[in-house]
Amino acid sequence: MRSENGPGRENAFSMKYWHEIRDTVHDFIVVDSAERSVIDSPPVQRLRDVHQLAMSYLIYPGATHRRFEHSLGVMELAGRVFDQIVRPDMLTDVVRGLIPEVTQTNTYDYWRRTVRLAALCHDIGHLPFSHAAEHELLPPGVSHESLTWDLIMSEAMEGVWAGVDPPVRPEVIAKLAVGPKKAPSGVVFTPWESILQEIITSDAFGVDRMDYLLRDSKHAGVAYGTFDHHRVIQNLRLLPRPQEKDNNDSDSLVPEDISLGIERGGLEAAESLLLARYFMFSQVYYHQIRRIYDLHLIDFMKEYLGGRRLAATVDAHLAISDSEVLAQIRKATRRPTARGHDPAKRISQRDHMRVLYERSPTDAKVYQEPGTAVHNWAVQEFGADLVRHSNPPSKTGAINFPVLLGNREIVSSLDASSALKAVPSVVADTVYIDKGQLEEANRRLAKALPEVLSEANARQDDDAADTDSAAGKER
Amino acid sequence: MKRLAKAALIVRLRDQLAEHGSWCGETHLQKAAYFLQEGVGVPLEFDFVLYRHGPFAFDLREELVALRAEGLLSLQPQSAPYGPRLVSTPDGERLVKQFPKTVGRYEGQVRQVAGFIKGRGVSSLERIATALMLVREHPDSDNESLAGRMMEIKAHISYDAAMGALEEVRRFLDVVEQPV
Repeated sequence: MRSENGPGRENAFSMKYWHEIRDTVHDFIVVDSAERSVIDSPPVQRLRDVHQLAMSYLIYPGATHRRFEHSLGVMELAGRVFDQIVRPDMLTDVVRGLIPEVTQTNTYDYWRRTVRLAALCHDIGHLPFSHAAEHELLPPGVSHESLTWDLIMSEAMEGVWAGVDPPVRPEVIAKLAVGPKKAPSGVVFTPWESILQEIITSDAFGVDRMDYLLRDSKHAGVAYGTFDHHRVIQNLRLLPRPQEKDNNDSDSLVPEDISLGIERGGLEAAESLLLARYFMFSQVYYHQIRRIYDLHLIDFMKEYLGGRRLAATVDAHLAISDSEVLAQIRKATRRPTARGHDPAKRISQRDHMRVLYERSPTDAKVYQEPGTAVHNWAVQEFGADLVRHSNPPSKTGAINFPVLLGNREIVSSLDASSALKAVPSVVADTVYIDKGQLEEANRRLAKALPEVLSEANARQDDDAADTDSAAGKER
Repeated sequence: MKRLAKAALIVRLRDQLAEHGSWCGETHLQKAAYFLQEGVGVPLEFDFVLYRHGPFAFDLREELVALRAEGLLSLQPQSAPYGPRLVSTPDGERLVKQFPKTVGRYEGQVRQVAGFIKGRGVSSLERIATALMLVREHPDSDNESLAGRMMEIKAHISYDAAMGALEEVRRFLDVVEQPV
C-alpha cells in the first residue's frame, strides 16, 4: 500500500490521506484514510480468510483469491459508477425531475462515500467458504445478509463509523449493503437509495457482478469471463425503464421507474458482460465437480457441528473463517472416529462423488425436475449416504434493461440487441453417487430412467400440497 | 406447496391475466401474485416487501427467472417504447396440464384476481397493491388514515387516488372466496 498526502486535508508531515492498493484487476484502488479505517476493521479484514469461490481451487488451482480483494474491487467500481451517473451531461430532465438528489451536488461526497463503504461491506456476513453452506448451517431466518446488517450496526463498528469524516449513517450503509430483499422488515428504500443499491447488485450492471466476473475469470484462468468494463461504465446512465403499456409518456413516470441503463454505444460491451456471465456460470460457478465439493463441505460442516447450527452473533461470526474449517477438515481426515471424517476425507483426498445423472431437455419434457426424480430413485436403490443432488438456481441470459438510442428513444435491451435475446440460460441439475457404486448405478439407471420419470410425473399433482425445499437449493 | 405446483399456478395466472387483457409484464405478474397470496389466500409463500411499485417479492422474481431459464415462460420483446411481456411456452402449458388438481383447486381464485387486475396499468396496480398491503398490515385502520400512510410511502400518489384504491380493494375483499 503506497500513501500520499491529501490536498489540504492534513499536514504534509503528518499522516497520509490517500492510499493506493495494488490490485490484480483494477491495477490501483485508491482509498482515503477514513475508508482505510473501515478496511482495517475486523469484519473486513476477516474477508482475507474467506475464499471467494469456496473450494473451486480444487478444480481451478489458481482460484484461491479471497472476498477481501473482491470487496475492495466492488468499492472501487461503485465509486466509478456513481461518478458516471451523476455527471450533469449524463442526466436528462426527466431524471432530474424524478430524482432530485442527482442535482444536489453538495451531497455528492456523502452519497459517494456511503455507496463505496456499502460496497466494501456488502460481503462481510459471509460464512467460511462464502455461499457454500449458508442455508444449512445458520439458524432459520439468518442469512449472510442479515449478518452483514448486524455487523455494520454492531458495537464493534460503532467506533469506526464515528471516525469517518464527513459523517456517515451506518443504517444507510447497511441498507445499501444488504438491499431491499434482505433488509429487516419495515425498512423502506427511497427511489434514490434503490438506485444506489442497484449500483452494487443490479442484475445487469451491478458492480458486485462486474468485479467477480473479472476477478474470478482471471484467477481461475478462464478467459471468457472478461469484458470491457471501462466501456460499460462509461456508457451507464440513469434511464426510465421501457414502459409497460399504460405508462408510455413521461407524465406518468414515477421515481421508481428510473434505473441503470446504457447508451447505445455501450451495448456491445453490455452484451459481452452478459455473455461472460453465461460462460462463467456454465463453466465455473456451476461446474459439476465444484458443486459436489460444495456438498461435501456442507456434509462436513453439518457432521462437525453435530446437529447444531453456527451461532449467529457478531463475535462468533468474526471468530470463524476458512482457516478454522480447513484445520478441522485436516484433523477429521486423520481420525476415522472424528465427526465429519467421511466428507473430510472426500475433500482432502479428492475422493468426491461422481456424476450419475445430468438433466436433459428431453427428460424435462417428461418430468420438469428430472434430477429430483433420479435422486429419489438413487437414494432408494443405494442409500442416502452414497447419493447427492445439486440443483442451484437457474439463470437466464436474457436481461431486460433500458437502452438509450442515438435518436433519444429508450428501448428495452431485448428489443435493441438480438445477441442479448439469445444468451442461453444455465440450468444445472446433477445427481452424484459414490465412485464405488457408479458403474452399477449407471447400469441400473439406464434401464429404470423412463419409468422413474413417468412415475414422478404421474405422482406430482397428488403430492403438490406438500412443501419441498425452495427451488434451487442443494439437497 | 411444491415448487412445480406453484410454477403451474404462476403460468396459469399469467394465462388468465392475458385473457383478461393484462399486458403481463413482470409488474403485472408480481401484483397479481400478491393479490392471489394475500388477497384470496392461495399459499404461494412468496416473501413480499414494499419496494418497486408497491409489494414486490424478490423470491418471485427469482422464480420467474428460473421459469424462463427452464423454458416454461419467455420474455417477449415489444416494439419501442414498450417493455417486454411474459408469455407462456408450450412447455409451460404442458406443466399446467400436469397439475389438474392443484390448478382446479385454485382456479376460482385465479380467475377472480385476473378479473380484478384486468387491463390495469402499472400506476393503478401500484395503488391497489399498496392499498391491499396497508389493509392487511393495519386491519383496524380506516381508509382515511391508510390513505395518509400511502401518501407517506408513495409520495406521487394523491389522496383521492389513494382513497379510490382503498375503497376498490375493500370491495374486492368483500366478495372474494377463500380457498377450501
